[in-house]
Amino acid sequence: MSDQEIINSETTGDAREAIFRSIRSHLAASVRHNAVYAEIVEDHHSQTKEESAKVPFLADLDLISNAAAPPVERFSQNLEAVDGHCIVAHGEVEVARALAGIIAQLQGTKLKARRIALSDEPAVERLARLIATDVDQITVAPDAAALFGYDVGITTVQAAIAETGTLVLDSERERHRLVSLVPPVHIAIVEATQIYQTLAEALTVLRQEERVSSIVTFITGPSRTADIELTLAIGVHGPQELYVVVNEGPPLSVKAGW
Amino acid sequence: MNHLTSETFDENARAALDDAQLRGALRNATSLFGERRLAAATGLSNWEELRTEARAIKDDVLLHLDRYLEAFVSKAEGRGARVHWARDAKEANTIICGLALERAALTVVKSKSMTTEETHLNAALEAAGMQVVETDLGEYIIQLAHEMPSHIIAPAIHKTKKQIAELFTAELGIAPTDDVAKLTSTARTTLRERFAAADMGISGVNFGIAETGTILILENEGNIRLTTSLPRIHIAVMGIEKILPRFADLDVFLKLLPRSGTGQRLSTYQSLITGIKRKPEDEGPDELHIVLLDNGRSRMLAHPVTRQSLACIRCGACLNACPVYQQIGGHAYGSVYPGPIGAVITPQLIGLDKASKLPYASSLCGACREVCPVKIDIPRLLLHLRGEIAERHDEEDGQKTKGRGIAERFAFRIWVKVMTRPWLYNASAGLGRLLQRLIMHDGKIGRVSRWVTHLAPPLGAWTSGRDLRPLEEKSFRERWRSELAGER
Repeated sequence: MSDQEIINSETTGDAREAIFRSIRSHLAASVRHNAVYAEIVEDHHSQTKEESAKVPFLADLDLISNAAAPPVERFSQNLEAVDGHCIVAHGEVEVARALAGIIAQLQGTKLKARRIALSDEPAVERLARLIATDVDQITVAPDAAALFGYDVGITTVQAAIAETGTLVLDSERERHRLVSLVPPVHIAIVEATQIYQTLAEALTVLRQEERVSSIVTFITGPSRTADIELTLAIGVHGPQELYVVVNEGPPLSVKAGW
Repeated sequence: MNHLTSETFDENARAALDDAQLRGALRNATSLFGERRLAAATGLSNWEELRTEARAIKDDVLLHLDRYLEAFVSKAEGRGARVHWARDAKEANTIICGLALERAALTVVKSKSMTTEETHLNAALEAAGMQVVETDLGEYIIQLAHEMPSHIIAPAIHKTKKQIAELFTAELGIAPTDDVAKLTSTARTTLRERFAAADMGISGVNFGIAETGTILILENEGNIRLTTSLPRIHIAVMGIEKILPRFADLDVFLKLLPRSGTGQRLSTYQSLITGIKRKPEDEGPDELHIVLLDNGRSRMLAHPVTRQSLACIRCGACLNACPVYQQIGGHAYGSVYPGPIGAVITPQLIGLDKASKLPYASSLCGACREVCPVKIDIPRLLLHLRGEIAERHDEEDGQKTKGRGIAERFAFRIWVKVMTRPWLYNASAGLGRLLQRLIMHDGKIGRVSRWVTHLAPPLGAWTSGRDLRPLEEKSFRERWRSELAGER
């Protein structure tokens, strides 16, 4: 430890104790007010309960609309609602054809799709080799500096959530923290069996792991902002286009999912 | 509109009311956010239950804040994060500048964080010789313009795209444009270079999970992911109240926060970061530092009314719902946190004496309480703070028989006398009807005549902004007796 660090850790030690003392003494001081306040809160809560009973007029608008739908359909609808694109395919050949289709289509636009970055998931590389479309470069997990020059990133995911159209990426399982973020287009391949109905279910699974992964990312649609006059602009810092190919056929990889 | 303070709130508000462009922008923003919030909230059948549950979780955390903090810190440290404690803004800034200097981190990218606005971290880092760039589009615009954010969720809400285009032309040398997509892509391109070169990324924290030591950050743009993934050092600045007990509690808060803030079912990105990477060859920073900031928060624990301020999840819904914010915007509050929640937090953070006007910047209509996802009773808090301010005035007045407190008390004593004696009430009403003729013009009280347009205080304080409705020629009781009683 350098001198500076020792000084820092000393002051931070003092600060820690001081903050804990302050928390405890102020909480202790609040006890005598708690009983009086409890009645007021009780009052207010019973009031708001009456109010809320009056407002079921639009209840369950978006949940009921597709809550009963099968996970794939529900996921797809909710993803499209946030400007993502969803394609359902059956098995490796169809998934590869879908990928080729997306890339060919992008090549007609400003997004070019000439240089493709892949995560280190073997299934992704295998699929990329099947892409008949002609591209300039395909690289597995380029480093951060190089990634800025790529047009498309292709990854799989570790789970998906139907009720919100969300992808769940655990970047300890697959090197996709940056491939899914830096290029202007992100294409994700999702196994139909990986789609959970609700956020709560996905959180439970995340937590069931003996240790939570050091970095988990939820992705719901392409990057967006409304910071200028509330005008929606897609693709500010993250990808401008998000394509998801859902595989309803046999799994593409032996280690799909958690 | 730069560098306003809470002390000059009245003047700030008056200036804002005269700014037609600002008021147009505020009208658009607050009504749009309000509508989206309502649609998103009513889209869930259990919205009220979620609010109640969220508040119960927060109350539990705050009542046992020391224990939850200990758990959070030990889990986070167990996963390789380094935790720092800061009693106040200055201490937080010293810690962060120290870390940057030690590690020769000269270029810093920042993602939007109200907590670092609160500590004025950018100024401190710049004074220490670092280059700091805000990467959230709204914050970037504000930084280029040397202004303060005016809304918790949309910091540049007060600026038109024309002003932003002029700013970009002057600062970044782009050709004049009024195309939002072009402005956005300019920011993207410019900031990519900064991300690629940055040594250090600084972010805020939305939730810290005690059970796992995880920090969670929400966003829509992707700049937070870049800030927390690319530089070799990540510093997360977090108020001590941001704790949630369990991982599963995220379900409740992730349903409430985006819906309340922007009306989204879920923000585009959530980064859940637990310590540092476990394999050195993995992507992501080598170091994670979590700076826990008190800065007046622990003081708020001392009373159940003030304690609820710490349940706030910074969604901004109360700003959009507030009839005062809707008219004057964020800058007039002269504080980092504007709107109803700002009016209660600011005096508690910086001291009642420095922000004594803010608790009065409300009509107590209760719209903020109705939309608050964690059911903070803001009107009650405002009254509580007003009470404290009044008590202080009394103390300062001491034995002297003047001052607002005394005058107010005298006025109310008379009011009570009049209201409890019908004959005195009738007599006063009759007298009032006679006297008001002196100050009536065109059937309204507000101008005495065409030439005398201002009334003397205290009435003038009301009529300078709007007319006062005069007393009817006949009271309801009189009419009842003379006209209506016979028709029974």
